[in-house]
Amino acid sequence: MTEAPPARQWTMRIAFSALVMVILFFHMLPLQTATGGWIWPDLIFAFALAWSVRRPDYVPAVLLAGLFLLADLLLQRPPGLWAVLALIACSQMQNQARNLRDASLATEFMSAAAWIVGVGVGYRIILAILLVETPSLGPAALQIIVTVIAYPAVVAVTHALMGIRKTTPHDMGSTGVRT
Amino acid sequence: MAKDRNSIDYGGPLRRLVMAVLILALTGTFLLWRIDSPRVERFRAQVTDRIVPNMDWAMAPVTGTINLFRDFQSYRRIAQQNAELRRELRQMEAWKEAALQLEQENARLLDLNNVRLDPRLTYITGVVLADSGSPFRQSVLLNVGARDGIVEGWATMDGIGLVGRVSGVAQNTARVIMVTDASSRVPAIIQPSGQKAIVAGDNSAAPPIDFLENPDLVRPGDRVITSGDGGVFPAGLLIGQVAKDPGGRLRVRLAADYERLEFLRVLRHYGTEPVSDTTDVLSADEAALLQEEVTE
Repeated sequence: MTEAPPARQWTMRIAFSALVMVILFFHMLPLQTATGGWIWPDLIFAFALAWSVRRPDYVPAVLLAGLFLLADLLLQRPPGLWAVLALIACSQMQNQARNLRDASLATEFMSAAAWIVGVGVGYRIILAILLVETPSLGPAALQIIVTVIAYPAVVAVTHALMGIRKTTPHDMGSTGVRT
Repeated sequence: MAKDRNSIDYGGPLRRLVMAVLILALTGTFLLWRIDSPRVERFRAQVTDRIVPNMDWAMAPVTGTINLFRDFQSYRRIAQQNAELRRELRQMEAWKEAALQLEQENARLLDLNNVRLDPRLTYITGVVLADSGSPFRQSVLLNVGARDGIVEGWATMDGIGLVGRVSGVAQNTARVIMVTDASSRVPAIIQPSGQKAIVAGDNSAAPPIDFLENPDLVRPGDRVITSGDGGVFPAGLLIGQVAKDPGGRLRVRLAADYERLEFLRVLRHYGTEPVSDTTDVLSADEAALLQEEVTE
């Protein structure tokens, strides 16, 4: 496994935390006090998945767990449930990172889409089993779909603007990797 | 570098252990919330209290800028708006005249009856710091909290109508669950027919009216006010007007302007004293005292 020097690792971890805080900040701006507003993609989850595939060492599980729990607390969700599901999804993506490194964007997209839908459905099922009041089906389903659609855009931003790229053969110091 | 490489060995036992601990901790948090919700909600309020007021310096200008752009879009329709406003203003003039007359009449009647309005119903005004951040929850965060004497359950209004109730108070902030939230139920009375009902939020802009005894007596345009049943809200706060949706269901068109909530009034409400229906006016020892006085 290749890793960036520790200094860069820590810079990028802090950068990821800052990114999540900025997303939370925009979520909480008091612009949407009336009902029936736009349904935004779950950008925190999409970014976490995209970073997990590209650079697992920048988003360690402890950091992800902390940030997800914070998001749960600030966004009035039942604390812990969405966080644990998203954490499992991200860690599975990190485990697959080695395979996905060579794969095309389409394969990665399918994998991410499966996890986004899986987390969304699992979240609702567990809430229903524990008799917690769930948000209505329509908007919740819409949010899952919007998140899946937004994933390629998130990947593009991650790749182009933030410079988070998959490790290249040069970084790995090995040969035989398809570009 | 070598040590570092070992410590984050993907799939390694340490990593798996960390994952297991994290999953257990998060699941535990969720189950704890399910079992003892108030305690965890208090923790949530504390966390929010720590973080959100620190963001306020950035939130205010960003919100201002975005609202400026929204306003700018509405400037394009300015001529049309102007005409609309003039028309509305003429209607308002008529209403103002009627209101003035009624105010004078009301003052005279109050004077005649020597009525003293409840002096304990005062209010604190707070600024809206943040919204719920999610399209599935309808709540706002105010910049007043336990420090200002806010108590859980107090009603909040904008200048005109009921907005919601305080739920979750931290030192510097308080969360207000709005009437439109899916978990909100407000006991209401519909005037002039006097029918009692419940205004049940369902995440839509106009919450439906539930548990109405006789829908025939209620007509669109009737006023919906709080009934004070249940002791959470004071009685007589305006919620809105009855409206009928295309499906024939009765809903409340809310009087408060939810589009732009900037300031909210939190009404101090120390509960209404219950009227017991017992028939003895005097308690036993008072009666005995009276007996003694009479015999003397």
